[in-house]
Amino acid sequence: MIDVLLQTLLNAAASGGVYALVALGYTLVFSVLGVINFAQGALFSIGGYLTYLLMGGRIGVNGALPGWGLPAGLPFWLALLLAAAGSGLVGLLVERVAFAPLRRRGAEPLLALITSLGAGVVLVNLLQLLMGAEGYAFPEAALAGLPNALVIGGARIRSVQVLLLAVCAFAVLVLTLWLERSKGGRALRAVAEDATTAQLLGINSEAMVRLAFVVSGALAGLGGGLVGVSVSLAGPYMGISYGLKGLAVLVLGGLGSVSGAIAGGLLMGLAEALVPSDASGWRDAVAFAILFAVLLLRPSGLLGRRPVDRV
Amino acid sequence: MSKPLLEVRELSRRFGGLLAVDRVSFAVQPGEIFGLIGPNGAGKTTLFNLISGTTAPSGGAVLWQGTPITGQAPDRLNRLGLARTFQNLRLFEGLSVLENLLVALQRHPRSSALDGLLGTARHRRAERQRLDTAWQLLQELGLAALAERRAGTLAYGDRRRLEMARALATRPQLLLLDEPAAGLNPAEKDQLGELISALRQRHQLSVLIIEHHVPLLMRLCDRLAVLDFGVRIALGSPEQVRRDPKVIEAYLGSGSNAGGRAP
Amino acid sequence: MIDNGLLVQMLIGALLGLSVYLPLAAGQLSLATPAFYAVGGTLAALLSTRWSALGATAAGTLPLGSLVLELLLGGLLAGLLALLVGRLVLRLQGIYLAIATIALVEILRVAILNLPFTGGAVGIFGIPQPFATAAGYVLPALALLALAGWWCQRLEGMPLGRAMAAIRDDELAARCMGIDTTNVKLSAFVLSAVLAGSTGALAAHFLNTWNARQGSFDVSITTLAFVVLGGSRSWLGPVVGGLLLTALPELLRPVGDVRLVLFGLVILLGPVLAPQGLITPALLARLGRWGEEKER
Repeated sequence: MIDVLLQTLLNAAASGGVYALVALGYTLVFSVLGVINFAQGALFSIGGYLTYLLMGGRIGVNGALPGWGLPAGLPFWLALLLAAAGSGLVGLLVERVAFAPLRRRGAEPLLALITSLGAGVVLVNLLQLLMGAEGYAFPEAALAGLPNALVIGGARIRSVQVLLLAVCAFAVLVLTLWLERSKGGRALRAVAEDATTAQLLGINSEAMVRLAFVVSGALAGLGGGLVGVSVSLAGPYMGISYGLKGLAVLVLGGLGSVSGAIAGGLLMGLAEALVPSDASGWRDAVAFAILFAVLLLRPSGLLGRRPVDRV
Repeated sequence: MSKPLLEVRELSRRFGGLLAVDRVSFAVQPGEIFGLIGPNGAGKTTLFNLISGTTAPSGGAVLWQGTPITGQAPDRLNRLGLARTFQNLRLFEGLSVLENLLVALQRHPRSSALDGLLGTARHRRAERQRLDTAWQLLQELGLAALAERRAGTLAYGDRRRLEMARALATRPQLLLLDEPAAGLNPAEKDQLGELISALRQRHQLSVLIIEHHVPLLMRLCDRLAVLDFGVRIALGSPEQVRRDPKVIEAYLGSGSNAGGRAP
Repeated sequence: MIDNGLLVQMLIGALLGLSVYLPLAAGQLSLATPAFYAVGGTLAALLSTRWSALGATAAGTLPLGSLVLELLLGGLLAGLLALLVGRLVLRLQGIYLAIATIALVEILRVAILNLPFTGGAVGIFGIPQPFATAAGYVLPALALLALAGWWCQRLEGMPLGRAMAAIRDDELAARCMGIDTTNVKLSAFVLSAVLAGSTGALAAHFLNTWNARQGSFDVSITTLAFVVLGGSRSWLGPVVGGLLLTALPELLRPVGDVRLVLFGLVILLGPVLAPQGLITPALLARLGRWGEEKER
């Protein structure tokens, strides 16, 4: 009994952690630009597939190069880090192609929503061309040296979930410390607070925008790699679903709030874990039902910063 | 004396620690032009927003012909008979000058969406009536030649007049003018006074007006209230207000740039 | 190159484009169109397969009158749902509204996937056909589009449409001019839903099967792209956008799997290259002048 409870809570925290990573990615970009990067889900997928390839995984029969793979695989840790970095770079590319041209022209924010969606469509379908639509399971030896299950206080729990949670927590910690303590992080927050003033203080806000996209892409990629190793890669579109749930978390926690994104992610993970297994088909609707309920009960409460209508 | 058209009772608004409007009371009588003056930051625009429903008051009451209307939404207040203009101009810039008026005329006369979709005779009649009224207003305010222009492309003075025309199109009993002379050149300012008097006559209006340009109000208004730091420090005819020592002190004490604006 | 089947799909695309356009014309970015489309389609699929009074035969045919009834009922049910949901979500602004409507789409998708009577992942299949061939659907789809387009045109010359344009321009100023903005936004939202619901009912018969994927977030993206690429300043924009962008993936079929990448590129680069879309006010004005000159 205690096994089940513990495992459920752990599952909740682990998936909540992934949601928090995705939502944090949205938050970073939103706080510097005031727009949402809808390509976030695609970057999530890219992180998952990159991790798989870097670990020496082979491309399936429906891919562009069936049976191809790196001659030697990297250990999971290294692959995950490099994949996150790779997603970050793709994030930068998205910024350059989908956001920068519009920003330079001062176009309405709605357009960035479309272009980033377009970037997501391109990326996901490129991934599908390369890898095929099939699912991929990570090699058995992915987490060599890690026992399949841990026994804590008499309860057996899946160790990969512990790992997932630990990595998420670590990533969130590093991100928070970076935002609070480092020069780059503080500059980023200054731009988020007030871009014009930050510019006057000599902060290069364009560079900060790019930085936000890189870090945001890396967070999404990290999430993709973690989900890949703990569950599997369910096809290039898998990131879209995480991307959408991340949106729900984002609104729940308040747009532009880091702690809100973390709390919202955990809350969402817990709510999903509480769905009984015979109604598991409904699990995907939970995040959005909660979002809806929050909007119903407190339409202005959890909404973070709201533009004030000046007369 | 008949029942006042608009009465403001002990109205207050707090922003954080700042009392922007502090228990202000006054009443506007039917047919009156009532001015609100005061140095910058005296709370005039906040008071205006409280009356027109765009900001909720922290305390006090607003009465319309004796009935409380405190905190009602701006669209309801407009339908009761209050129309306002905006100091920083909020025209529908993407629409033409004529369309700006047609928007405001949508209830004069009313016609249902179904009539519109089916294009019934009733709808066509209503549209004709709206167009007639719109053209009358455009002519009255000297905008007829600009009817097809996009509002966003108009010169500043024309925009100011279009804002007034648009407010008038909603057929108000009380017109709230928020610094109508701001940004106008001296000649336009002179014409503005005459225009407002003329509009009051023709449309049987009462007018509540905020203005920085004090000489204009002194000429135009029947009565004035003076605000300073959110408090009403004087109320009366222009003559009374001009002589009020508190008013003189407020204006002279509010900095060197007040000289030109002193009553 | 464009056969009747593709033509019907294009017309359906144009109708969905108009459905996204209507709230946008009142300044409200709603991505809920696929939800209402799904409601209409599911209702039509259920009614025609289960309700014998509609007159579906064993051979899989359906009387035309029943189709018309379903179009009305599909629109009605979607409209009622919009009335309920709209009161709630239209209090939100900008990106919040967009996200809330995405949530609505996802909730409905999951519901249709899991409800006991909607056929799960497979969906409802063998939906009776009022027409023997795809060609038969061209006329009703065209009629629906003509009706919707005509009403959108009428809207521009009546108080509701003007109020919508005013809200899009400056909501607070519109309120101060006595416009009941809540009601106007709700009207636009409900009209959009009715259109999507009726379109769904037609599409369910045309497609012959109906499942949860018909109303997914993907559809939110593509239908929004119709409006943005076609142009959101006139109802002609989403119609043109819907027609072209629905045809595009099919016309690109010869290039194989790359077509979805190219489709993505169009969405990505369209707003950069043509920020106002294909049908701009300037273009309409030019066409108008050209028309006047021809009359003279």
